[in-house]
Amino acid sequence: MEIHLNRVDYIQVGVTSQKTMRLLPALGKKATQKVAIADHDGVLTCFGMKKGEAVPVFKTLPGQKIARMDLGGAAGTPQEKIFVCSGSQVRGFTKKGKQFLTFEANLTESINAMHVSGADLFVCASYIYNHYCDCKDQDYYLSGDKINDITCLTSENLTRLVPVLACQDRVLRVLQGSELAYDIEVPGPPSVLELYNKDGGNDLSAGEEILYGTTDGKIGLVQIGEDSAATKWEIDNDKKKGGILCIDTYDIVGDGVNDILVGRDDGTVEVFGFDSSSEPTLRFEHVLSESVTSIQGGCVGKESYDEVLTATYTGWVTGLTTEPQKTEAGPGDEVRMSKETQSKVEALRAELEQLQVRVLQGREQYQQTSQSSTAVSAVPVFSINDKFTLCQDDASYSLTLEVQTAIDNLLLQSDVPIDLLDVDKNSAVVSFSECDSEPNGNFLLATYRCQANTTRLELKVRSIEGQYGTLQAYVTPRLQPKTCQVRQYQIKPLSLHQRTHSIDQDRPMNRLSLVGQFSFAEIHSWVVFCLPEVPEKTPAGESITFYFHNTFLGTHLEATYCKGEGHFRSDNISTISILSDVLSKEATKRKINLNISYDIDDDSVSHTLKMIHPKLEYQLLLARKVQLIDALKELQVHEGNADFLIPEYRNILDESASLLEEYKKQPAHLERLYGMITDLFIDKFKFKGQNVKTKVSSLLEILDNYDLNSLLNFFNDVDM
Amino acid sequence: VFSIVSVLKLFPAALKPATLTLATYAWLARQLGTMLVPIFTLKLNHKINPRMVTVGKFDGVHPCLTAATQAGKVFIHNPHARGQRPVTHRLSQSTQDSDISLLNINQAVTCLTAGTLGPNTTGDTLLVGSQTNLLAYDVHDNADIFYREVTDGANAIVMGKLGDIPNPLAIIGGNCALQGFDYEGNDHFWTVTGDNVRSLVLCDFTGDGKNELLVGSEDFDIRVFKEDELLSEMTENETVTSLCHMHGSRFGYALANGTVGVYDRTARYWRIKSKNHAMSIHAFDLNADGVVELITGWSNGKIDARSDRTGEVIFKDNFSSSVAGVVEGDYRLDGQQQLICCSIEGEVRGYLPASKDLKGNLMDTSSEQDLIRELSQRRQNLLLELRNYEENAKTNSGVGVIPANTQLQTALSVRPATEAQKAHVELSISTPNETIIRAVLIFAEGIFEGESHVVHPSAQNLSGCVRVPIVPPKDIPVDLHIKAFVGGKISTQFHVFEITRQLPRFSMYDIAVDSSVAPPSGRVAFSINDRPQRVVMWLNQNFLLPEGVDSPDVTFTSLRGGGLLSISMASNGQITLRTDDIDLAGDLVQSLASFLAIEDLSAEADFPGYFEELRTTLTEVDEFHSVHQKLTAAMADHSNYIRNMLVQAEDARLMGDMITMKKRYRELYDLNRDLINEYKIRSNNHNALLACLKSVNQAIQRAGRLRVGKPKNQVISACRDAIKSNNVNALFRVMRAGTASS
Repeated sequence: MEIHLNRVDYIQVGVTSQKTMRLLPALGKKATQKVAIADHDGVLTCFGMKKGEAVPVFKTLPGQKIARMDLGGAAGTPQEKIFVCSGSQVRGFTKKGKQFLTFEANLTESINAMHVSGADLFVCASYIYNHYCDCKDQDYYLSGDKINDITCLTSENLTRLVPVLACQDRVLRVLQGSELAYDIEVPGPPSVLELYNKDGGNDLSAGEEILYGTTDGKIGLVQIGEDSAATKWEIDNDKKKGGILCIDTYDIVGDGVNDILVGRDDGTVEVFGFDSSSEPTLRFEHVLSESVTSIQGGCVGKESYDEVLTATYTGWVTGLTTEPQKTEAGPGDEVRMSKETQSKVEALRAELEQLQVRVLQGREQYQQTSQSSTAVSAVPVFSINDKFTLCQDDASYSLTLEVQTAIDNLLLQSDVPIDLLDVDKNSAVVSFSECDSEPNGNFLLATYRCQANTTRLELKVRSIEGQYGTLQAYVTPRLQPKTCQVRQYQIKPLSLHQRTHSIDQDRPMNRLSLVGQFSFAEIHSWVVFCLPEVPEKTPAGESITFYFHNTFLGTHLEATYCKGEGHFRSDNISTISILSDVLSKEATKRKINLNISYDIDDDSVSHTLKMIHPKLEYQLLLARKVQLIDALKELQVHEGNADFLIPEYRNILDESASLLEEYKKQPAHLERLYGMITDLFIDKFKFKGQNVKTKVSSLLEILDNYDLNSLLNFFNDVDM
Repeated sequence: VFSIVSVLKLFPAALKPATLTLATYAWLARQLGTMLVPIFTLKLNHKINPRMVTVGKFDGVHPCLTAATQAGKVFIHNPHARGQRPVTHRLSQSTQDSDISLLNINQAVTCLTAGTLGPNTTGDTLLVGSQTNLLAYDVHDNADIFYREVTDGANAIVMGKLGDIPNPLAIIGGNCALQGFDYEGNDHFWTVTGDNVRSLVLCDFTGDGKNELLVGSEDFDIRVFKEDELLSEMTENETVTSLCHMHGSRFGYALANGTVGVYDRTARYWRIKSKNHAMSIHAFDLNADGVVELITGWSNGKIDARSDRTGEVIFKDNFSSSVAGVVEGDYRLDGQQQLICCSIEGEVRGYLPASKDLKGNLMDTSSEQDLIRELSQRRQNLLLELRNYEENAKTNSGVGVIPANTQLQTALSVRPATEAQKAHVELSISTPNETIIRAVLIFAEGIFEGESHVVHPSAQNLSGCVRVPIVPPKDIPVDLHIKAFVGGKISTQFHVFEITRQLPRFSMYDIAVDSSVAPPSGRVAFSINDRPQRVVMWLNQNFLLPEGVDSPDVTFTSLRGGGLLSISMASNGQITLRTDDIDLAGDLVQSLASFLAIEDLSAEADFPGYFEELRTTLTEVDEFHSVHQKLTAAMADHSNYIRNMLVQAEDARLMGDMITMKKRYRELYDLNRDLINEYKIRSNNHNALLACLKSVNQAIQRAGRLRVGKPKNQVISACRDAIKSNNVNALFRVMRAGTASS
């Protein structure tokens, strides 16, 4: 069952954060709903649509940036009170715009997630969770990693309020008072939580189910029980769409079952419906040009037409409505509609003219200050929405940058060798500049000149483990007076590692142990320096264990450490080698004496090679096949048909399209595998105190005529 | 002559949607959300070489899509008349697809086109060019019209009438040379151009009702020839890969760096640059507004149609692989031209121009919505700017603050080579106060590897002054668009200063002269009727002179070659340029002549060093020619030998004499190896010959560039005559004196 939704733009406010737009409950059965939206200028706007025009209900004065919004109200009454949080303050407004609550949470950090339920208020600020009832402190919890979102279950089956936290370390933490009840492992860092069937629903488990979305674009449904949870379903992100920013449930298809509305950070809006087997299936997809920060289902533009309402990063409120577009309406309608638009356009033009005059005055004044020797020029900081994440599938980093106004150009600079990959979606003209690694330490200097109206840029970079440094992006938007802002991204020594929940303990492991006069905080900071996805805050307790896996090779790493002692175990000897190099360097920097010991398992090298083997074999075969395609096609043309070819070759011809696509998807995959095998070889003998760099050429020869056994033999037999 | 039956089954399954009526099509369009959908789609199952696609009516009636494919073949797609084609000579039926005939060229095809060439032919003639030959072929009669050897190769081809030449010509562009053949294969037009030709188009550039020839070449120039007279030169910043005529004097162009744009005469209307490459461009009125749009097929499979005035996209579609060619033809034989786009994998789509009721709006989003969105976006931008000024007035501290009177100073100067650094032009950028320059971005065309150059000092090397060495590879004037990020040492937000500086054409010449360097032996002398002050003005505008000069007698050191360049002007208006670099002399003459608006200028020249080189090259050409002939003879011998050997071997096999057979086959194997080796020698010889011929063509072009207007054309045609008659001495006489006589 497909649905068609037409796009309508309503208004534009300032830059918005995640989950800052809500629809107020409808008054009548078929009446349109009012929209409440809050932005970074601190303005809370409430508006309704009348004859295609946005009519404001109220608008607050500018102030501190608003990070979240929620609706609340006494239990059993319409949830129409608006709560917003900015800084560490929570304010409440009635639907008419009257402020009835100002609550200072007295947190040292800004609130970034909030949930309101009756008289209960739940707020989170990075690692801290606080529960207030009637503005009085109730519970408190300190999470192990950053909290991205919070929601709270209320159900007749549950005896109490159950808050659930979405934490960056890939778990949902279910709380009981100030204590952790249990946690739920999810496949990616969760970024958003939403109650499934929030209005109660009809089946028994209603009100106990939570939808989550992850920063790597996965969605799932979990059922929260008293002391355990069950995953109902998960939707993977095969098509590599953006991360999830917002979720809502609403029956837009009109089949009586609530659909799931999803907004992603690459501008994708999706509607998932349920087929007879209760599996979610994609029913509708639309791509807006910027991050979708909030999504709601309801009725805004025209009564009795349902729609999906979205708010984007730059503050556009856009509806995807079931109301048919005017092209399909009768000729009479068309005239009326264009008259409306006409007046809208005229009003806009008039406003533009006025603004133009004011801007000209502003420019003149600004010019005049440049004559004065005492005046300074301080242009306010523009906001950049950026994300630098490791993609698991191709072991490369994706960098997305989003600015509230069009980007003019971007300068990328790196002090570590990295490869910049081409991204189809990115239409900017890239140009690589000559680099001077001496004396300025540049390994990459590239400019992106953007096409007009580009507010969002997506880039991909590939790093090499062991080479670490900083990637800097200088973003210049098309805004006078022209300024640029620099953002820094760390390329960590073990950049291709990702946190995981558990590792396979049966593999042959190499161990690196450190003993020395260092504090828990010190060794934690070194681990943060080496590995991605480790929380910056020193964990609570005496000691900690983190698990990682290498996204490219699939090898594992276990890091356990406490004050004065650290143990790192990995089946990949290169990982251990990199860690030992970096850690000893860091310790030397702080003049700390380290006692380093190794426990090398020789089997681990063969084990790693055997793990690489299927990947390498597949890649080699693919490369060989792709190489043959053109020649085979020529033969086919020459002979008129392919019947004379052996089945293997005919197969290649038949599959040529998919082979080529596969090959194109993973550029330099083979070279990367070769590089890692070479590292493995060098590192194996490094731990034996032998330098085998001279033998690398013979290794490469063996790789050129690859065969697992001869490679294993070479690793074992090399006579030093 | 086709029977009714064959017309009836014109559109078999391959052209599926063709039976749709316009009404259903409009309905379909609305359903799909796009307003323009392909009217037919074909999968040809043959690869298509990029830019080698054309449509020809070889029988005078039925248009056939014709394209070069792998293995030196050309395929002709003719869905209109089945089962009537004779299979002889070059043509053979493809067994994969009965609508396709294959034409065996046996050489890698480099270009092809179709059109009316002969005066009394019924259908179009197909012309196929390769690196060594040009074939004119009558597909309908299945016969060669002519087959000519072209030593300069054929990189591009165009067919049509040129200037006053009465017969239509097939004009090919090769290595620095242009050649036009009539239907009998006679060479009616020949001239040279600056570099390897990559694209050609005929259009009435001057508006005199006669066609001029536009030539795009690898030296980034678009040249306009009125027959063999060079009318104008437009310098672009990359190899010109495609040209197409739009309407009137307007034409579209595409460059190897992903730029496409439109010129009207010598003025560029618009251009856009993409990170993808434009594979093919074509003019077609897709929105039926009476004006053609520029249709571009891109390397990523995208097709877009852009307004010829603004470059605004009015339609786009996507193929799954790179586009190979964009052509047009009445492929459905219903009197309407379709735009036909082909991908390199052999997918073909045809688009019909939009019907009138779409009102030129081919995109699926409503334009009103877009207008409102655009206006709101502008409002938002103005509001943001206003906020910038308001906040600026309020706050007086914070990060990224700089004194309001900060001004950026830029200076250009010539720096001769030192031990540490090559000779370069130095652009120094500095701030007058304690602010620092975090990074400098310079966007400029044609002087950097990409389109930009970045200087990003490391944190410890930050200062208020940045020196950027620039080495322009060619003598061209360049606009440097400089963006400097200015702020404090620990700022995260910087002010961006944007300045444009022009680098003069001859910037790599230093006025400081080392007296020990020997004076140049090459010179060119000519007379002008202008005051010396005007020459001084030209000098000051085109060279980087720190203090300027006040006399037209100056000497420079070339920073590229190291030699000297001296310019002197006698009281009678005779100017003498002394340099050993004939290219530089040509550039100077052309630049000065255009500055002084001189239309015709003859000159005497002598470049002993260069001429000596050319003489050697000419002897080499002769040698390579004779080697070529010898090798060809040897090859003929060998092939006879092979034939004998094969017969003997097969005889032995039939006789059951396996020992002899084995021996013969072994010999045959050895002979085969010899042949391969010989082939390698031959191809090396051929490549060397090509390089020599190219440099001879270039020499003629260079001799021409020392003159302007008519004298220039005279030199080029006189040189050509001298080469034709193999008179080397006459050639040098022409190059020196400018005429063949005396």
